Amino acid sequence: MRTDPVTLKVLENHAQAVAESMAFTLFRTAHSTFVKETEDFTTGLVTPSGMTFASPRDLGATWFIGLDYKGALEMIPDYDEGDICITNDPYSGFVCTHTPDMHIWKPIFWEGEIIAFAVGHIHNTDMGGAVPASLSRANTEVHQEGIRFRPTKLISRGVMNDQLLETMMLNVRMPEQNRGDLNAQIAAVNTGEAKMHEMIRKFGVETVKNGIEDLLDVGEARARAVIAGLPDGDHRFVDYLDEDGPGGVPVRLELTLKVRGDEVIMDFTGSDPQLKSALNMPTGGNPRHILLMVGYNYCLYTLDPSIPLNGGILRAATCIVPEGTVLNPQYPAAVGMRSLTCGRLQGVIMGAFHAAAPDRLPVGAAGGGGIVNVKTFDAASGKLSMASIDPVTGGAGGSALGDGTDGSGANSAFLKNTPVEINEVEVPIKFRRYGLVPDSGGAGTARGGMATELEVEVFTPDTVITARNRDRTIFAAWGGSGGQPGAPSLFTRVTPKGEEINLGNTDVVTMGPGDVFNLTSGGGAGYGDPFARPVALVVRDVLRGSVTPEKAKASYGVVVDREGVLDEAATKALRDAHVAPAPATFSYNESRRAYEAIWTDANYAALTQALTLMPVHWRHFVKREVFDRIEALPEAARKGDGSEVWEAVEAVKTRVPGLARSMQVQEAAE
Amino acid sequence: MGYRVGVDIGGTFADFCAFDETAGSIGTVKVLTTPDKPGQEVIDGLKALEDRFGIAPGDISYFTHGTTVGINSIIMRKGIRLAMFTTENFCDVLELARLKMPDPYHLLSSRPEPLVTRDLVFGVAERMLADGTVDSPLDEDSLRAAVAAAKARGAEGVVISFLHSYRNPAHEQQAKRLIAEIAPELHVFTSHEVRPIIREYERSSTAVIHGYVQPRVAQYLGALQEALSGIGVTPEPMITKSNGGIMSVEVGKTACVEMLLSGTAAGVMGAAFVAREAGEDKVLSLDIGGTSADVAIITGGQPGYGMNEVVGDFPIFVPTVSVTSIGEGGGSIARIDAAGMLTVGPDSAGSTPGPAAYGRGGTQATITDAFVTLGLLDLSALGYGMVSVDRDKAVAVIQPLADSLGTTLEETAEGIVGIAVSGMFREVSKLCSRRGIDVGEFSLLAFGGGGPMMACFLARDLGMKRVIVPPSPGVLSALGGLTADVRNDFTETAYYDLAPANAPRMGETIARLTEKARRWMVEEQHYEGTPVFHASGEMRYRGQSFEIEVPIDPAALAKGDIAPVTEAFHAEHRRLYGHADAEAPIQIIAINLVVTGHSAKPTLPRYTPAPRSVEATQSMSAWIDGARREVPLFKRTDLTPGASFVSPCVIAQDDTTTIVPAGFTGAVDAHGNLILTLAETADAH
Repeated sequence: MRTDPVTLKVLENHAQAVAESMAFTLFRTAHSTFVKETEDFTTGLVTPSGMTFASPRDLGATWFIGLDYKGALEMIPDYDEGDICITNDPYSGFVCTHTPDMHIWKPIFWEGEIIAFAVGHIHNTDMGGAVPASLSRANTEVHQEGIRFRPTKLISRGVMNDQLLETMMLNVRMPEQNRGDLNAQIAAVNTGEAKMHEMIRKFGVETVKNGIEDLLDVGEARARAVIAGLPDGDHRFVDYLDEDGPGGVPVRLELTLKVRGDEVIMDFTGSDPQLKSALNMPTGGNPRHILLMVGYNYCLYTLDPSIPLNGGILRAATCIVPEGTVLNPQYPAAVGMRSLTCGRLQGVIMGAFHAAAPDRLPVGAAGGGGIVNVKTFDAASGKLSMASIDPVTGGAGGSALGDGTDGSGANSAFLKNTPVEINEVEVPIKFRRYGLVPDSGGAGTARGGMATELEVEVFTPDTVITARNRDRTIFAAWGGSGGQPGAPSLFTRVTPKGEEINLGNTDVVTMGPGDVFNLTSGGGAGYGDPFARPVALVVRDVLRGSVTPEKAKASYGVVVDREGVLDEAATKALRDAHVAPAPATFSYNESRRAYEAIWTDANYAALTQALTLMPVHWRHFVKREVFDRIEALPEAARKGDGSEVWEAVEAVKTRVPGLARSMQVQEAAE
Repeated sequence: MGYRVGVDIGGTFADFCAFDETAGSIGTVKVLTTPDKPGQEVIDGLKALEDRFGIAPGDISYFTHGTTVGINSIIMRKGIRLAMFTTENFCDVLELARLKMPDPYHLLSSRPEPLVTRDLVFGVAERMLADGTVDSPLDEDSLRAAVAAAKARGAEGVVISFLHSYRNPAHEQQAKRLIAEIAPELHVFTSHEVRPIIREYERSSTAVIHGYVQPRVAQYLGALQEALSGIGVTPEPMITKSNGGIMSVEVGKTACVEMLLSGTAAGVMGAAFVAREAGEDKVLSLDIGGTSADVAIITGGQPGYGMNEVVGDFPIFVPTVSVTSIGEGGGSIARIDAAGMLTVGPDSAGSTPGPAAYGRGGTQATITDAFVTLGLLDLSALGYGMVSVDRDKAVAVIQPLADSLGTTLEETAEGIVGIAVSGMFREVSKLCSRRGIDVGEFSLLAFGGGGPMMACFLARDLGMKRVIVPPSPGVLSALGGLTADVRNDFTETAYYDLAPANAPRMGETIARLTEKARRWMVEEQHYEGTPVFHASGEMRYRGQSFEIEVPIDPAALAKGDIAPVTEAFHAEHRRLYGHADAEAPIQIIAINLVVTGHSAKPTLPRYTPAPRSVEATQSMSAWIDGARREVPLFKRTDLTPGASFVSPCVIAQDDTTTIVPAGFTGAVDAHGNLILTLAETADAH
């Protein structure tokens, strides 16, 4: 350490003040409501090599702590004072992660030397491309996701590149918003530069330079101390996205977490091949790419909330992400909806860490509800009305430290809803119900958080409901240590005739007058044997309507009526007769168990291995082909040892001669 | 002529400020609070005023009082057992809140348990639509069932909060009437009466907080009235409000939600008064107590106002003087973290047990202990002799930190101060960026027991040129109550476009609110002067989700002219956010009306003697600016108007100690305020 602990703490506060002043400047001056509402932006300070050493704590997106700017910074050959650079290309340096995110950076010079960069991003409402807002699961190539800028000087020595700016504005659907938000970003990095200069004047340049490196070292040391508190060992965890594209088959995300002393290796081998949809996560194989590290950051912070949140904490981890997979796609795979994958991956990482510290971290969070947008018309005037109405999040998982929070929490704790009253004034729809769903939280010694339910009636033809990031209708939140999984999510349309239509994971649906949709998120999972839950808490849950008397009896062995009157004798009898479940780290819902009865670990390992041998552009096609063949197999032909997968792969090769030729070309090249 | 007495009750002390209307002088007293017997401290303090200044209760001509009974009921969860009735199928409004968790990085972060838990929330079949039309009428049977269920579960009161009641309160009113018939023993509160704002969580939360504390506060105020008249105080007591105004104690009994944050608000009002008297246009006030530092922006002698404040764990939406609270005060605890870094706060030893140096059982190193260790506090008797400092006890808690850091005692103590100041620097920087102000143009007005102790250090870091310390910084909240006007806020949700066609609607709303305000002033408040009305609109560009408040001139509106308010909105938007869009449609979400009734203000004496330089007659050995030195020690009473002095120095007085590191020049203005000016220096560190 080059800096004494007192000075370092003072420097940390001053660096945080710079990053936070940038954030408030951006937030204050941004134009788009999207930025104000979702706070989907970042600001921060990075070292000359791109490592984040200060980022705001109470404003902005929570995902990008420690985002590594190196890839983009290096693509600019030389910097001058007064330069400001941008990029929104997910494949140039792997800093930007989808096209709506416009990243910006400004070198901060002192006496001719770059001391730091002021950085940040804003999620723009639209960057052009195939669909409004630039994002759709159905996109297959990044080119459909809007105009892209590789790392470029937007402002060179204080002079704006107007041609570049106007090219951008020509290609986006709401240029005034983009222009306004870009100005807010420029104001933010300029604030960062000015305040950083103040800091250097105050403390001296050497003190600041040393302090920056020491802050990262402290972050690393603190992260290593947290990891050293975990037992060494390998923890494998798997979860799925329900669909790999509209109407598709599941996507497997697999992690083997290797805890080795004071560091971890996160090996994602076994995760699906890259997809022909926009669910891919562009990481470039960076062993500490931020999209791979969000869940890691959450887990470490939960294990020790006093660790500094800077790029130093990432140094205690190394990721392995094979190329050509959903977690490391090759250009030009579409990546716009990487947030759905990233969200589930956070859960996978939480699962593996839960296995390493089951008494300190929660089990599976609900997820899957989606973020609901409505486009409809005023019945009388015909006026178009469009709004994002609510995220339907669902509860957190239970833990040894208590129940999961109801309705939201864990890795969706940053989302905010919109009041029913505001929605009804702004959009001509009627809410019929908004609240929590009884019995949806997985039973456990610690109960899972309840699901959220939204029920809305629409009044005009051609009303379009979009539910972005729909998932979890098949694979529900996973329980642990005898706790039960959460309820799956549901999306239902009820026609005026009363006909109920299950919409599954559909994310866009058109409805008409009198139609009602009900969107129910999953529930959080439970932790620990539900029969060990204190009776008083079960009674409380019944009184509060979180658990019905029927569920209390069936899942918790507590006989209680709606008014909370307990039948002690009956409860004792039920609980005495209960045989505690065999100790298992995880428990899964029925449809996942059914799926894994077909897609055993061995079968999936065979598929992954077979696909790895194929050129990337064939992989998703072959995956689907193999899935069709495995599904068509008679029950008796299923062995689950991988052999049926190899047979199916051979059958595909036989049917598609081009595949075999392509594999030969690849082998020859290698 | 007589004495105007202001009382403010804080965590440790109750502060009394008595203004002698004849002599124009101010006397102050502090007594310990009596949390077990609320109100006793008021009687104790009046007794002390009599003992010390000969002010008999009968001489008191005007009495203002800020109480913490309400906020303490919430923090300690000692309100009444309350039920809530919502629109059927929307019972989870308090549980869901606005979803976002307090610490979104933490996987186990949770919202605090609502004051009304879900077993006491009952849905009632009824539905009002957004335009105020009835979708389905109130089902009285379902209401009766809810009443029966609430009573069965032991409810003492009910909050009724139905969807869209801000637009049409008929169902809430109908339910209230019916409950009064069938269960007259229940306290009943309706959300539209407490604050008729759009946004169901915000309205419900505010109504719940109100209902939760109202019976307790009313009881307290009644007892206080009796006690005061029992000892011979004749004027009707006035209660300070969160909006920086006052109301009569009788009105206060039904308007509890309006007084919950009155303590901090009164402090800011006191600071604003001092700023006006001193002719300071741009002031940042810094009020440091045991657990927190409260910062407010005062421009042109007026504080800012906001709607979204936090009481205990919950948001409350009533107009409130804007204050940013920083979790660092004199009692904030210093420790070494897992990485060997020295940290300060956010946890605090508070007033009990307090800093180790106070000798009341504190065992952890606090900011105050650091100052005591440095020798900067140990010559002044703090808190009028009720608390004295013991340097040995302070050293005993700082030394272990020094040992594990491997530095000297003094370096460690100075480090604690430096870290605390840098934490405040961080928060104030944020505040300034949020508001878009240049802090360099502001003066720092320090008060509270700890403000003058830290203000110069903070000002130096922030690049502020001037620090002001008023004559009695320890009792500024009590003074603030004496300078406050009678004030109340009225609101109606509008939610339509700001367009000429809507000018008549806006005018009607303002007329309705004005009439309501006038009646309140005359009939409830018994105000005899001429009230002043001030209308404003909460407006935004369509599509935005946050509003800014803009004054409305009713005279222009009467002529159908919305141009002035439109232009004012664009200008205010540009001022706050740096841009405006003259073409974009504007929505007006709510119309507000503030009524104020001027109250007589203390007139502080002005002295204008010739400037003279003074030297301290005493000094003490203390560690400041990185070295041990003989630091001049002034008694505040010796620093009378016209005096000037140099730093470093320490200025001791009954209710606080002002610490002035090197680089400042000191002067005393005509009102006795210390004006500490930072000389231009290239590098303060």
